[in-house]
Amino acid sequence: MKMPRKAAKLHLLKPGSRPSKVAINQLPSGVRGFDDILGGGVPEFSLSLIGGAPGSGKTTLVHQLAFANSTPERPALYFTILGEPVIKMLRYQQQFSFFDHSKVGNAIRFINLSDMVLGKDLATVLEEITTQVTAANAGVVVIDSFRTLARKATSDAGELEVQSFIHRLSQFLTSSEVTTFLVGEYVQEEIRDNPLFTMVDGIVWLSQVTERNSVVRKLQIMKLRGQASVPGLHTMRINTDGLQAFSRTLGLDSNKGKPARRRRLSVGIPDLDTMLGGGVLEGDSLLVAGPSGTGKSALATQFIAEGLRQGDSGIMAIFEERPEGYTQRADTFGLNLKKAEKKGTLEILYLRPLDLSVDETMQAILDAIQRVGAKRLVIDSLVGFEMALAPGFRADFRESLYRMIGALTGAGITILSTVEVEDNFTSLQFSHYAISFLTDDIIRLRYVEIDGQLRKTMVVIKMRGGNHSKDIREYVITDKGVVVIHPRRTDYAQLSTGIPYRTGPRTAQENEVPPEPKASQ
Amino acid sequence: MNRASPRMRRFAKHLIVSDALVNGASKAGRATPFPITDTLRPHLVTLMGNGGVRALLARALALSAAEISWLRAVHVNADGDLEGLEAAGSILDPAEFLEGRVVLLAQLLGLLVAFIGPSLTSSMVGEFWPQIPLQDRDFGKEHKNENAP
Repeated sequence: MKMPRKAAKLHLLKPGSRPSKVAINQLPSGVRGFDDILGGGVPEFSLSLIGGAPGSGKTTLVHQLAFANSTPERPALYFTILGEPVIKMLRYQQQFSFFDHSKVGNAIRFINLSDMVLGKDLATVLEEITTQVTAANAGVVVIDSFRTLARKATSDAGELEVQSFIHRLSQFLTSSEVTTFLVGEYVQEEIRDNPLFTMVDGIVWLSQVTERNSVVRKLQIMKLRGQASVPGLHTMRINTDGLQAFSRTLGLDSNKGKPARRRRLSVGIPDLDTMLGGGVLEGDSLLVAGPSGTGKSALATQFIAEGLRQGDSGIMAIFEERPEGYTQRADTFGLNLKKAEKKGTLEILYLRPLDLSVDETMQAILDAIQRVGAKRLVIDSLVGFEMALAPGFRADFRESLYRMIGALTGAGITILSTVEVEDNFTSLQFSHYAISFLTDDIIRLRYVEIDGQLRKTMVVIKMRGGNHSKDIREYVITDKGVVVIHPRRTDYAQLSTGIPYRTGPRTAQENEVPPEPKASQ
Repeated sequence: MNRASPRMRRFAKHLIVSDALVNGASKAGRATPFPITDTLRPHLVTLMGNGGVRALLARALALSAAEISWLRAVHVNADGDLEGLEAAGSILDPAEFLEGRVVLLAQLLGLLVAFIGPSLTSSMVGEFWPQIPLQDRDFGKEHKNENAP
């Protein structure tokens, strides 16, 4: 049969072209960070299982999903089955900030099916759900707990009835343009044998991991049809805003390359700028390593203050010293950080809550960077950062830090991190653990015994973006901050060990003016 | 704990009387057993199931009976009906009967406020008795301003 010309055209595709695929709309989850992990949001009309052990946050998560996606015209129907009574659910869930009282009863309707499940068979339960969904023109359906419902079927009629029930439920809800969430207390071992896990479109798994005295909440998208979610375990936290998720990738694009032409940024110490070949390259990660008292924080303060002077907003994420200590020290150097804080061009983040997760800390830093439009970031110190984390998160520290530094520097933000290292007077360590791979540039500060004094020297170890001075320079910390004083010392050898010996002509001790007064003076 | 504060009692009385007027009962003091709970019950059953509603009513009844002795003859049956209320109404003085129902309703609403909060309780009441102005069913004031006797 010959097709009419117009209709035939619809079936013709140009060579190499693909038919347009169906667009799957994505619903906002209402959970901060979760949309990124899902790959944009919850696929519309999908049937997902929220699984995990009791107390893992399943009910809170589905409440957020329901509140975020319900309107009086397309309400969310929350069916409860022999789980947490609605009256208690409402009592506890309204403690969260996402709980909108005005939605309860019209945009979100709670329906208790416990009596029906106890007294009737699954077909009747399905009929009741069908009737309610149709009458309300629901847009979202939650069944909590689905496991209880499935267990009834398993005990009465077996596995096939469960499969048939899920199939008919899924078919009806999808045809009714409903996005569905089944909530259940499952253990991971059940995934292989339970047909439910095969039939649903998505599986979100929540868990709690205990390590020593800390508990770490994790979230995983085990399955999601139709879109690419971020694989792996993601940290989450439940606070007054409900559940918050922190993507392993922090929503960052780590593959972004640095721009070809970059500015040289002054660190606020002219001689050090010279040693760095004119300053730090914009978008570099600079590590300042040295033992306690060598002026790492002072140098970091000068770096931020110089940026502010040149119009670059900044963030100081500090983990050891309190913000007041920072601003006071800056005051003694004649650098007024408080003014910049008031102006909104500087934020000093003091991050030391108990059981901090690496991803949420980094999220706090990223939020602050976005708020002030920061071009310079100080992390003081990496050791303090790691120590502030719950033990379970420390294993992920370097990986997450690597990702964040890579993404931020790729976005043109210049990072100065400090790290405390011990001087051992036999060798020159850069850091006590392998973090130098995180950095483009390294400045090493150290104590050196010279002429009966423990003096301070600095040397630029590495500069990825170009040449730099190889000199070991002496410096002091004055009321102007870190000040490089002496030119390269050629009359000493083995300065790097901390115990040099004089190679040049010996001068009388009185003739050498020490940079800082001796006790006798 | 007595949740029937004077303010909640005033509200309960107002609700019983106005409901009787709206629904055409002959006399507020000698109405059908308890139309208010009859109105609220299906909604509460949807939320809490039959068992939950029975438990809630039984608790309200127990609290009320401590103050109103004739309510001790009333109990919640398997369907959630208040059995014995109608019989009590037929022999009691209308004012005495009204007082008992006022206390019972005040306790019931007080329990709801305690469990799900003033805002959701107010919304629920407003859904069935929209003629009651929002400020009259502001149960938040209940917690702040008055203590139960």
